Amino acid sequence: MTLFLTVTAARKPRVLTPVALVAVALLAACVAQPTVPTRPESTQQTQPPALPPTTAPAPAPATTIPPLLPTQPSGRPQPSAESFPKTLAAAGTGPAVLALARQAQTFRSAGRPQDALGQYERALRIEPKNAFVWQAMAETHLALHNVEQAESAARKSNSLARGNPWLELGNWRVIAAALGVYGDSPAAQAARTRADEIGSALAASSGGGALPAASAVP
Amino acid sequence: MIRIKSPLLRWLLIGLAISFSVGLLGLSFWLVRLDQDVRARYAGVRWVLPAQVYASPLELYPGARISVTELRRELERLGYRASDELTGPGTFAVSGSELRVDTRAFAFWDGVQPEMRLALKSDASGLTSLRAMGSDASIDLLRLDPMLIGSIYPSHSGEDRVLVKLSEVPPLLPATLIRVEDRAFADHFGISPKGILRAAVSNLFGGRGRKQGGSTLTQQLIKNLFLSNEQSYGRKINEALMAILLERHVSKDDILEAYLNEVWLGQDGSRAIHGFGLASQFYFNKPLNELRPAEIALLVGIAKGPTVYNPRKYPERVKDRRDLVLQLMEDGGLIRDDEREAEALTPLGVQNSVAGGVERYPAFIDLVRRQIKGLYREEDLGSEGLRIFTTLDPRAQERLEARIIADLPDLEKNRQLKPGTLQAAGVVTSVEGGEVLAMVGDRNVRYPGFNRALDSQRPIGSLAKPFVYLAALADPGRYNLYSSIADEAIDLKMPNGSRWAPKNYDRQLHGNVPLHVALAKSYNLPTVRIGLDIGVDRVHDLIEAAGLQGPPRLPSMFLGAINASPLDVAQIYSTLAASGYLTPLLAIREVMTKEGQPLSRYSFQLKQTLPEGPVYLTTWAMQKVIEFGTGRWAVSVLPAGQKFAGKTGTTDDARDSWFAGFGSDRVAVVWVGRDDNKPVGLDGAAGALRIWGRLMRDLDARGIDLTPPAGVEEAQIDPVTGLLADEGCAAQVTVPFLSGALPKDYAPCANAGQSSPLDWLKDIFR
Repeated sequence: MTLFLTVTAARKPRVLTPVALVAVALLAACVAQPTVPTRPESTQQTQPPALPPTTAPAPAPATTIPPLLPTQPSGRPQPSAESFPKTLAAAGTGPAVLALARQAQTFRSAGRPQDALGQYERALRIEPKNAFVWQAMAETHLALHNVEQAESAARKSNSLARGNPWLELGNWRVIAAALGVYGDSPAAQAARTRADEIGSALAASSGGGALPAASAVP
Repeated sequence: MIRIKSPLLRWLLIGLAISFSVGLLGLSFWLVRLDQDVRARYAGVRWVLPAQVYASPLELYPGARISVTELRRELERLGYRASDELTGPGTFAVSGSELRVDTRAFAFWDGVQPEMRLALKSDASGLTSLRAMGSDASIDLLRLDPMLIGSIYPSHSGEDRVLVKLSEVPPLLPATLIRVEDRAFADHFGISPKGILRAAVSNLFGGRGRKQGGSTLTQQLIKNLFLSNEQSYGRKINEALMAILLERHVSKDDILEAYLNEVWLGQDGSRAIHGFGLASQFYFNKPLNELRPAEIALLVGIAKGPTVYNPRKYPERVKDRRDLVLQLMEDGGLIRDDEREAEALTPLGVQNSVAGGVERYPAFIDLVRRQIKGLYREEDLGSEGLRIFTTLDPRAQERLEARIIADLPDLEKNRQLKPGTLQAAGVVTSVEGGEVLAMVGDRNVRYPGFNRALDSQRPIGSLAKPFVYLAALADPGRYNLYSSIADEAIDLKMPNGSRWAPKNYDRQLHGNVPLHVALAKSYNLPTVRIGLDIGVDRVHDLIEAAGLQGPPRLPSMFLGAINASPLDVAQIYSTLAASGYLTPLLAIREVMTKEGQPLSRYSFQLKQTLPEGPVYLTTWAMQKVIEFGTGRWAVSVLPAGQKFAGKTGTTDDARDSWFAGFGSDRVAVVWVGRDDNKPVGLDGAAGALRIWGRLMRDLDARGIDLTPPAGVEEAQIDPVTGLLADEGCAAQVTVPFLSGALPKDYAPCANAGQSSPLDWLKDIFR
């Protein structure tokens, strides 16, 4: 029984659509996983993930969208969405960074996004890997129409999100909006679809509960 | 009426009267012109205000990793004075683990932070509490005023100054100045006839000795502003007339303020120290309003002749002069008798010029100068008083300097090299944000000469290898960290007909080695093999994507036949450290006008240019460099339990010794070599690594986050075969792979490897 489930979890992501992957991942989250990976029965060669062109300054978004929820190392329990923090304050952030985020929010409300960016940078000097701060920075860049930086900061936040779907939802929304500034390109559509998929997966898993607003920073 | 009989006399008198009238008329015209001239020139006086360069401010918050001892050092660097009680801004008091400080107000980019009295406590982990004195409420965060680290003054005049307003200087300063230089300043009309007479008499009978002044402050100002240094009667008369005219148009206060900012008070190489504002920083490393009476007396005293009265050269002569000024202060009723006595007992308090804040960090200032050059016009930089806020972290800088100063002589001793043979350069940057935190360009860290951190273009040797492996690991269909690579001789015929037969550093062949071991042990032949397989262009493109333009498209590039500076290396290693996000390394954060208006801000710029998953795998292999490879010496000094990634670099005949590496928050690059490019007999591990390892320890750098990113999976691997392992294997290692590219087969040792459908059934019924 356990064995079958493991095989499914280990192999399915390669062939399933992203939507199905959410279901599998969420299902897998409910089941304790054995620690030994099982030898795949199929010899079917999977496509290596496409890589961004390294000479181009930015990776082509359509080719770099990673799996919807990060593939967890085999054998580790898949955390549920609810186990991830939804806000900066809930993410174990220190009081200094919280104070800077509040100050930044004040600047944003006062129509001083440049000053808000300065506060987020101060915050990142203290907690450089804080994905919530990177996300807030991405949103601020978006408000300034710095679309390239908005996209980059949102991707950085995704890199540091370590599978937090609440963060990824917000980041994909920023990326979709940033890419959408120059028209409804396939890349923008893909990013929007990604955001929608995470959104519906979260809605489903949290029993239709309210999703966080675009900004997760207080 | 007197009748003049003689016609001759009559004509003579008429002639005299006419010439007198003409002369008077001429004088009037001349005076009118001179008046216009003085007004125009004075109105046109634009202070040469060099851009002021600041280090990054220290952020204080509960949890900050700084002890009271380190904080104390930082305050001393900023010119704060220790005392038993807080006596005003710029003072602090330490008692046990508690430190109280009265911080200076400072106009930051995002607003003014007022003066505050704080109490701080620390333990081994850092600051534990931060509160305003007289209040129990904890303060979340606060910045100390940033350290002034230099200025960008015009190279032609070398004139440097910090502008002050009369209303902001301590009143004792102008009062003393008047008492010493021009007692009648308040009452005279620009010149002091009595003073001139006294000087004239003294000069007449004084022979060829030093000429006595007699000039009023107004005359001195005129001379400093408009006239040459020539000592002639014509110039003297001009000066006096202009002084009288100036007094008609300009208030005494304005003249005094102009004098305070104009006067030359010292020399620092080619840099001329003008005005009391800068002199206070230059000699005492603190702002003017924090000077004691004795310090004010010293500055006023040396205004007479900063060369003769150079306090760093002639401390005794200057002490006499200072004490004389203190006496004049007391005579004038500016200080009390007991105050004078107490002040006269104090030492001069002049900071060693090296410790004195300004011009301490020539290599870093050089970088700032170059980065700002493209952004502002040179004349604006030299004259508009811009305030440039930089990324320099004085604590990181001090640690980098200390390492190079301490370790280079050790390296020379170990290799029996003559002291002074080796040179070194180093760069420290932050991982996220790409800020240059520290830079040294010469083993003599204060020497403002050739900046090796920016300008030495040396082959980077094996520092290039991670990019070869990155190219391979980005091709998961062909390579993973355990791919077996043949370490066999290579003999290549190059397009130009020559042959290329690279060798391993140890001249040995090692058979088949796992890919990550080839990097960790810096084997040349497997690297070339991989590079040739992946292709020169691909590796070239990755290095460019990481931020170094134009590596040659030749196979020798795999082994580092790429010339680059330590800063260039820091750039490409930063991109690896930041998970593939390129952030151009910056030394400047903000620029403000002299009035404190924000002008420009340089925010973090990033762009993903390298694929995150393969970068993670490459970084994993670079951790092995330190775990068991060429960098393993560093384990002995780095904090236990934390992982760092890096790479040694050695060039032909060990001419250059490099180490570049990073944790999760700091990138550091160290180069050691000789200026004449002769072999130093040090490979990367024996030379630069020693400095790098201790540096990372001293920087309190944090280890790498070992959580794999999206797109990377970990698996248990049999280290012998690189295939999947399970409990049947004696040794298992956790190895990351790109998702979907895990090995498909089990190692022979694995139970699962021998499993058959029958075993599988047995399992179910067990």
